[in-house]
Amino acid sequence: MTSPVVDTVNLVKIYQNGAVPVPAVRGVDLRVAAGEFVAIMGPSGSGKSTLVHMLGGLEARTSGEIWLDGQRADTLNESAWALLRRKKVGFVFQFFNLVANMTVADNVELPALLAGASAREARQRRQYLLGELGLTDRADAAPSQLAGGEQQRVALARALANKPSLLLADEPTGNLDSRNTRDVLRLLGEVHRDGQTVILVTHDARVAGLADRVVALFDGEIVDDGTIGMARRRPKATVGDVVELRG
Amino acid sequence: MSTVRASVRWIRADLRARRVQALLTLLAVAGIVTALITSATLLEDGTNPWRGLFAESRGAHVWIHTKDAPDVAALSRLPGVVQVAGPYRTAPVTLTLDGKKSPVALREMSPTPPSVATPLIREGRWLRAGDTEGVIVERSFATALNLKVGGPFTVTALNGASHPLIVVGLADTADQGFYPEWTPGLAWTLPEVLARVEPALGRSESVTGLRLADGEATLPVVHGAVTLLDEEIQRMSTWREVRASMELDNRLLGLLLALFGVTGLVAAALAIANAVGGRVLAQTRDIATLKSLGYTRSQVFGVLMAEHGALGLLGIAIGLVCGQLIASLTLYGTPILPLSPIPLLAITGGTAAVVLVAVALPAWRGGLTPPIPAATAGPPRGHLSRMARVALLVRLPPALVLGTRDAFTRRVPAFLSIFGLAVPMMMITIGLGCWATLDDFLNHPERVGQAAALVVRPDKLPAEDAARIARADPQVLAVYPGSEVSALEPEQTRSVLARALGTSADPYPFSVVEGRMFAARGEAVAGQGLLDLLGVKIGDRVRMTVGGTPLIVHLVGRVVEPDQDGEVLSFGMDSLAAKDAVPPQFYSLVLRPGADPSTVRARLLAASGEALEVNRVVNPAERLAVIRVVIVALIAVLSLLGLANLLTASALGLRDHAFDLAVLKAMGLTPRQVAATLVTGTGLLAVLGVVAGTAAGASLVSGLIDLQGYTSGVGAGIGRTPSTLTLVSAAAIAVGAALLVALIPASRAARAQVPAGIR
Ligand SMILES: Nc1ncnc2c1ncn2[C@@H]1O[C@H](COP(=O)(O)OP(=O)(O)O)[C@@H](O)[C@H]1O
Ligand SMILES: [Mg+2]
Repeated sequence: MTSPVVDTVNLVKIYQNGAVPVPAVRGVDLRVAAGEFVAIMGPSGSGKSTLVHMLGGLEARTSGEIWLDGQRADTLNESAWALLRRKKVGFVFQFFNLVANMTVADNVELPALLAGASAREARQRRQYLLGELGLTDRADAAPSQLAGGEQQRVALARALANKPSLLLADEPTGNLDSRNTRDVLRLLGEVHRDGQTVILVTHDARVAGLADRVVALFDGEIVDDGTIGMARRRPKATVGDVVELRG
Repeated sequence: MSTVRASVRWIRADLRARRVQALLTLLAVAGIVTALITSATLLEDGTNPWRGLFAESRGAHVWIHTKDAPDVAALSRLPGVVQVAGPYRTAPVTLTLDGKKSPVALREMSPTPPSVATPLIREGRWLRAGDTEGVIVERSFATALNLKVGGPFTVTALNGASHPLIVVGLADTADQGFYPEWTPGLAWTLPEVLARVEPALGRSESVTGLRLADGEATLPVVHGAVTLLDEEIQRMSTWREVRASMELDNRLLGLLLALFGVTGLVAAALAIANAVGGRVLAQTRDIATLKSLGYTRSQVFGVLMAEHGALGLLGIAIGLVCGQLIASLTLYGTPILPLSPIPLLAITGGTAAVVLVAVALPAWRGGLTPPIPAATAGPPRGHLSRMARVALLVRLPPALVLGTRDAFTRRVPAFLSIFGLAVPMMMITIGLGCWATLDDFLNHPERVGQAAALVVRPDKLPAEDAARIARADPQVLAVYPGSEVSALEPEQTRSVLARALGTSADPYPFSVVEGRMFAARGEAVAGQGLLDLLGVKIGDRVRMTVGGTPLIVHLVGRVVEPDQDGEVLSFGMDSLAAKDAVPPQFYSLVLRPGADPSTVRARLLAASGEALEVNRVVNPAERLAVIRVVIVALIAVLSLLGLANLLTASALGLRDHAFDLAVLKAMGLTPRQVAATLVTGTGLLAVLGVVAGTAAGASLVSGLIDLQGYTSGVGAGIGRTPSTLTLVSAAAIAVGAALLVALIPASRAARAQVPAGIR
């Protein structure tokens, strides 16, 4: 088989809070295969955000190894990480983080343009994604004119614009009401069904229920990894569930 | 590069979102460049009119005076010579006007203007065929003698015959310098008129001008002409001499411009750095988002540089265009040449460098933004200082206390805001100080050593009669006899002007700024320039040859001396040898306060039956009038810069406190109090900046002007600080404008509904 999309070896992150070391991630070995949908759960402060930030290169690791698509990534410098992110990683954050001054369309086209697509390709990709996410008529709106759920859908479209091999979502529904949560989760499910590798951080068990596999983090260590069974158990039903919920 | 397209989108969106701020940056940069170019152009032109005149008249670089017409063909074959003007026959005549005689060179000129060295008609018209009496008079000569178009121009030739001619036009020329620095005066007339006035060829000379391909290569041409014409040449003049005689002392202007320029640039740099810095701070989240999408540190830096730098460079380009336009508009009538390339390049390059550095620093900081957008850029939480707590205890309004606290929650931007206002304010104060100094020159000429407004030369009358007529005038306060001779310094290498004025018992009211006035025979006072030249100090005794007579001069004081770069020795008439002192060459008249020199002059002329020569003393400030234009322009630009800084400060303050607004309202502050809090935050910075700038400017200005006075030989003691009233009103206007600028967004923000959970 092909190499895993994500592979970490004894990954450690220790923040320095003044003179006090704050260990946020303490020796995580995580291997995520292509097409997998992994939910990372854990209480607040357990190191979930720190872990996914490291996976996307937003934060430097203290020690350990990170492999993305079979390529050693933890030794990259800041710029090399940026180039890698452009091609391989899409991020969705809790607070959407759309560029306020740009229209929805421009926000979504930005990563594609950044990855070197022509204006035409970027536009086609954007039209496709916004169409898929039901936002075609909002293309020219400013982010501030959208509701929270809509903004997060735009953020999702933006994360998918450069067809990343890894989608990292840090509590994407943490700031949404239940209806919008359902919408966003349905979309994540659809994306996953199309073969997208997803790592989703949440502390909502219902959200985690959507995933193939749930990794539980506590005090920066993996305390439970529910790989077996779940993925095989009802891979199809997951999406069906969401659709039902939505109805 | 693949990021270009994405970056262009981002820049476009950002510019669209902050049109006003972008426009202000553009205006500020364009304004400073315009002001710099305009003032440099005006200075160059005002202090050196030769350049413009020479270009406009297609002047000749070399003028050759010969007995008879030279070999024009041979002259035009000299390497480097492009065109030949003339030869023109020129006769020396004497102009008699109101009983006063002035030597004039009457030069022949054709009814069709020549293509080289054309006199430039400024008033009246060109000569016409059949103008049997018409003359065109060189303008500075006409101004000095008060000649008008249509007025009489009665000349007497060497044979004594008098010819009544009429002035038909006044013209500028680069053929010779201005009257009276360059004599004799120049007038043009038709060849047949000249032949009538001076029929004898032997009593006239021939004048030929050579226009060269390269003015720098004048010397070889001069050598060539000397070799060619040899004995025939009577004298020659080159463009360098003409230019030198037209040039004013522009050191004061130059220094002022440099000062304004440098501080203007510093102020612009601060305004830009503040604006970009504020923008970067406000965009921290967006920049972090860009980085999470795959922008590298240097690409973020590049985007910010491209956006803000391009804005600055565009401002420079606009400024360049405006500068040229304004310079060509300012003195309508007299055309102005565009600035020469070196100062133009210096201004453009200097501003560009300053703009780019000012953008680069905050842009670099922007590049360092961590890529995690969740980390918001909140201000460090302020805590109530001891001062603020005391303020609350003594029951100052809460808005004042909270605003004061807010003003300093971000130390560096607060400091930059203060500094960004203080620098323009300092320069404005210095500008006002220069203005006050000029006013002081004009209103109190006695303080710059020009107590006398008129100088009377006996001319045809006996000296005693001249003195008697002058004393008889009701508005003449005092009459001081004077004589000027040359004095040789000890090493006998260079002569300086020695001026006897008044007597030791009754000295002329020189403006003594150090030491004391001369009070006995052999005592003298001197200008700074002379002290420097001789390397002596007050109290020294110097052996000098004054008017040919050896004299040991005891220097007892220093005076403010605007003439001759300060290289003037002044003493009483009694110190002068009798042959130089009796009769006095002239009388200096001090008028009663409020007397109009021209009225008195007219009265004296009438009383003496036009026999006296009465001249007004030219105040140095009259020649420096162009400074006022520079001051006004720069004050406008500096105000613009201050405004830009203020907007940045107030926008940043608003952004930082958007969250606090809800809290403040929840605490029970009324919208008005909330607005007051915001205004206090910005206003405090403004007050600090304005006060600091005014204080710095006021303490610097007289020192700076005195320093300039010292280096130009005039000597220290001329600098004036603007009046307290001027300073207070300038500061009040600045603070008032600042508060107004802060008030509008603050009151809007205070009234807006702010959701508590904005962050
Ligand atoms: N920038 C930081 N500096 C210091 N400590 C941090 C920083 N970011 C996170 N931490 C600490 O690291 C631990 C893990 O944080 P985080 O990864 O954000 O947890 P989670 O996302 O699971 O809530 C927490 O104790 C937190 O206080
Ligand atoms: Mg978290």
